[in-house]
Amino acid sequence: MVIFLRNKYSVCPGCSLLCDDIEIEMKGTEIDKANNACIKGVSRIKDTKKLESKIDGNEVNQDEAIFKAAELLQNANNPLIFGLDNSTTEAQLEAIKLAKLISATIDDNSSFCQGPIVNAILKNELKTCTLDDVRDYADVLVFWGADPSNSHPRLNSKYAYYPRGKERQRGWDEDRTAIAIDVRESSSSVLCKDNFYQIPPRSDGELMTALSSAFSGKMPKVSFDIETQRILKLSNILKKAKYGVIFAGLGLTYSQTGIETIKNFLTELNTYSNFHLIPMVGHYNMRGFNQALYNETGYVNRVKFVKNESGNLDIKHGLQYSVLEQLNNKEPDTVLIIGTDPFTSMPHSVAKKLKEVPTIIIDPCETLTEKIADVVIRSAKSGIECGGNAIRIDGTCVELVPIINSGCLCDEHIICKIMEEI
Amino acid sequence: MDDFGKYLSKPEHEIRIITYRDVFQSSAAEKSKFSDEYKNLSAIIQLDKKDIKKMGLKIGHNVIVKSTVGEVTVQLKVIESDIPHQGFAYMPNSPWSNAIVPLSDDRSGVPEYKMLHATIKDAKNESITLIEELIA
Amino acid sequence: MTNVMEVYNLLPKTNCKECGKSTCMAFAVDLLARKVKVDDCSPIKNENQYIENYQKLTDLFKTSDDVSEAGLIVHEEKCTGCGNCVVACPVNVSHDPKGVALGKAPKSNKVILRVIDGVVKSSNVHECRRFGEEKILCNACIVTCPNKAIEFV
Repeated sequence: MVIFLRNKYSVCPGCSLLCDDIEIEMKGTEIDKANNACIKGVSRIKDTKKLESKIDGNEVNQDEAIFKAAELLQNANNPLIFGLDNSTTEAQLEAIKLAKLISATIDDNSSFCQGPIVNAILKNELKTCTLDDVRDYADVLVFWGADPSNSHPRLNSKYAYYPRGKERQRGWDEDRTAIAIDVRESSSSVLCKDNFYQIPPRSDGELMTALSSAFSGKMPKVSFDIETQRILKLSNILKKAKYGVIFAGLGLTYSQTGIETIKNFLTELNTYSNFHLIPMVGHYNMRGFNQALYNETGYVNRVKFVKNESGNLDIKHGLQYSVLEQLNNKEPDTVLIIGTDPFTSMPHSVAKKLKEVPTIIIDPCETLTEKIADVVIRSAKSGIECGGNAIRIDGTCVELVPIINSGCLCDEHIICKIMEEI
Repeated sequence: MDDFGKYLSKPEHEIRIITYRDVFQSSAAEKSKFSDEYKNLSAIIQLDKKDIKKMGLKIGHNVIVKSTVGEVTVQLKVIESDIPHQGFAYMPNSPWSNAIVPLSDDRSGVPEYKMLHATIKDAKNESITLIEELIA
Repeated sequence: MTNVMEVYNLLPKTNCKECGKSTCMAFAVDLLARKVKVDDCSPIKNENQYIENYQKLTDLFKTSDDVSEAGLIVHEEKCTGCGNCVVACPVNVSHDPKGVALGKAPKSNKVILRVIDGVVKSSNVHECRRFGEEKILCNACIVTCPNKAIEFV
């Protein structure tokens, strides 16, 4: 039986839901149990190992590694800073300062993830809401190209489908309708039962067009195999929603449905209904990075700072400054990777280009990419060993309070130290 | 007959691959990406029952999956689903899938994570590509 | 889902009646219904020749030992700790309207299901609607599980 001794909950940095009701049970100075968190969160919170910094694969003390990193970055003509989605907002701001200091290109995973949608939300081009609004008001949920059971395991229990809320008092089976639109059956689509609409890859835009026709009373037409009756039924549910929410997953973002199509669809839908969109950003503070860079530059990612002739900074932005294009075209001459692992998340044809340039890694965990890196600086695991702020999937700011004190330096301070050396 | 078969190259079959997220695999990644647990949950490809039969492949055997940018050896699995998905295979997003995901040629800058053209064939005696080989 | 034949096949199949049942099949049925325990079969527990099957049967019925009366089984290896069942369970909702009912951490010790260290655990199972004289076939925890990790026997 659990005894509630702690009256303070911890925040889980396992994904961008930033669940704020985690009960930690300690055994001495170690975390024994992380209750209420999902398995992914538990692994993030508990599996914290003490690892050493490295130069050329050899263990060194952290100061040496920081010094070496500063030297490489100082001598670089076209450095690239990439990652930061698993860093606190404070660390992200320091990294942007560093990028300005050394005239670097800066980009994050949103560059090949939810960047376009977050950008549209920050520009008020897509209507959105908070997760608390979802819990309190949402009666129709649409998981579009999203599988929260695998990507954001507690979304449905904490906010979307199952909890009671202010205007949703009667329980999920009476009060809410959940719909899945996806190219494959998933652990989330099965929860939606008859409201699972399987579509062929890259026909998301076509379905949006068909639904828009149906909204205005026209006969919906699509080139793939789906009963017209089903599209009409779906369009009816969407139109009648009192408070609808579309959770836009990577499936939608990767379906080549342009952001304009998504915007137009939501606008069209909202002439009849009241729908909101929340992007299913993955890493716990990807949205924070987008917000921080947007505040500084007006762009959510893919930015290059260039010193002009009068000594001021010009801000450049575009596809050519995306991490994938930069590496693929062998543009950078030094790469600083913070809290992310290209060999896990990006095509290897691109990640392998890192072997040809000096690469520095700041990470609390053992990554694949560090095997080919020149410098590895070990940082504290943010949210576990050090605190700060982060922006949740819905734009809400959440404070992370460290759970254990390992004495390890957090990435914010590591970046500051690098700047001092430069 | 068996001896003879050894010298014949195994037939290749075309397949389109969709990558996906798996919470057990993500959880294993948090613990260690160099573990057997992570490999066993990552280095897999899932096909429709009918495709497996048609292609003469065996569930649980290793297969070589090849795209325009690379190839990997992974274990073949089947999905127990009532909804057929012939012609489409699923792979968890991992170093193994990223070894064969190409960049797209459109202007989005997003790789072909959700629509990857590849071929698949029986791997004979080849073992699963090691994570070290993927970085090398 | 374990069926009676699977259980029967692991038993000695000698119909020795030591357990008080007339046949091993009858014992298998009662074992599935949690009316008896594996250890109630003395030959399989004590004789060396059955050691492997004893282990298999013990593993099969391990997870449900503490919840035998309601027959609730959590397949922990399939559980992701998402907590859907915790929040959907009507008993949890009525016992903890300010906690799990709102999707938050449990605030009451009377809840039936809660997530401990990434896996759902059951307690107070006598409160489950499937239990006792007035039982109904509530399936809120089963249909809300994305991975079929919960079943009742």
